[in-house]
Amino acid sequence: MNLFAILSDIEKRDAEAYERIAFSRRKLLKTTAYAAVGTTTLLTTTLNKAFAANSEVVDVFNFALLLEYLEAEFYAMGLARPGLIPESDRMVFMKIGEHEQQHVQLLKSLLGADAIAKPMFDFTGGGKYPTVFSDYQTFLVLSQSFEDLGVRAYKGQAPRLKGDKQILQTALRIHSVEARHAAEVRLIRGLRVWASEQETGGAPKAIYEGENLVRQHDLVDLVSVTKPMIKQQGGNTEQTDTEIVRESFDEPLSKEKVLAIAGPFVKATP
Amino acid sequence: MEKLNEQQPVKSRPTIPAIPSVERRMFMRQLGLTAASVTALMTACTREVTDVNPVTGRASARMGASVLPDGTIDLGSGDIGIANLAYSLEQLETAFYATALERATGLSAQDRKVLEELHDHELVHREFFKGILTNNAIPMLEFNFSNINFNDRYGVFDAAQQFENLGVAAYNGAGPLLEDVEMLKLAGKIVSVEARHATLTLNMLRPKTYFSLGHELIDVLGRDWFRTPVEAAMKAQPFIKQKLSVANLPTY
Repeated sequence: MNLFAILSDIEKRDAEAYERIAFSRRKLLKTTAYAAVGTTTLLTTTLNKAFAANSEVVDVFNFALLLEYLEAEFYAMGLARPGLIPESDRMVFMKIGEHEQQHVQLLKSLLGADAIAKPMFDFTGGGKYPTVFSDYQTFLVLSQSFEDLGVRAYKGQAPRLKGDKQILQTALRIHSVEARHAAEVRLIRGLRVWASEQETGGAPKAIYEGENLVRQHDLVDLVSVTKPMIKQQGGNTEQTDTEIVRESFDEPLSKEKVLAIAGPFVKATP
Repeated sequence: MEKLNEQQPVKSRPTIPAIPSVERRMFMRQLGLTAASVTALMTACTREVTDVNPVTGRASARMGASVLPDGTIDLGSGDIGIANLAYSLEQLETAFYATALERATGLSAQDRKVLEELHDHELVHREFFKGILTNNAIPMLEFNFSNINFNDRYGVFDAAQQFENLGVAAYNGAGPLLEDVEMLKLAGKIVSVEARHATLTLNMLRPKTYFSLGHELIDVLGRDWFRTPVEAAMKAQPFIKQKLSVANLPTY
């Protein structure tokens, strides 16, 4: 499925959205101060009005909504399949599924009429994972894939939301919840909780491409700086030092790359 | 405790893009706060906007941390203030794990392995902030962990999860206040690692539960906990021997 087609539909509507948002924003500035948010309604009303008067926010949030739809449906289907998720892990997936559903609701209410509709999903990924809802290990591989991908997706979009503090804060607070999910699922699988190219756990390699940076920004080599101070005593010290630095930072992924990875799981828009 | 203050190798100076106009405005806003900041203001206003670089320092060293006459450590303002807050929290976490590894009793080999991993990541984060802050960095802090129970693994991991969750909340709250998009990107790379840490430490207490997923910290809209920079600094203060001044930290 070409996800760019789904998302470009939204762009056509952006011109109208711009007008509407710009109008409500002007009105907002005249009438109220936006602070004190407690309830969903109040929050979404406030943020709707704060929707930075350009299409960036709509674009980013619809991209996020697509991924949240995917995750929410994935867990709903997995939980509905008797015998798939062992009793010992059921609580975790119920809670993760609930969070994803909350993210869908939150993004939909913020986007209002600009929200994309939920597409149809193919969780076999075009036939690559035929046992996704009958084999628990396959289900776990995809769960980890979607969560780690989601973390990178939000991280990649954060700079585009910089124009509005409340909007950016909302995205950042969803981002860290996705990271909690990713870590939890990796723990269930007996994997290290950090994302890295060398420990994909059978998830598509593309999800972890570029995770192994050891130089952040243009800072000097953190490996040699931290090497004399670390506690872990690995067999091959050189490698261990490098891994520690790699694991200490999660890397963003561009929207294009995220969509290319998610593409096989999206069938069509209704 | 001396291990908490490890030797710091000399590093070359990194560069982070300048954010001139914003920082200059920040100077304007802080007018009248203290005698020192007025002096800073006067100096800053005479400078060419283009050579103010808040993170690398040169023209804007006065934006950075300062130690006040009574020993209070002012974290600074703007992005430097936030970076110094992050640096404080990463120092705190690193020191906590080092102390736990030295002092704690009742830990299994697996417990120790987890604490070592967490220690090492936090140390990398700490050195990273030290590296980007250069001469704007606050000094190495001293810590007081006397209220933490190091006599069993639950005390250790309970303290660990509190520090890690505070880290997540602090980055989530500070991110939107960062002026430099480069800093926002860097903070984003760290906060999700803190969230992974938080999950690991919660799982060391009650694995595979609502608790381990941070249920108590996530609101009904599915949003994680957040603390403003001032709130985050206040949460960390009881564990820090020096008094921190948050007077110049950015606010919403």
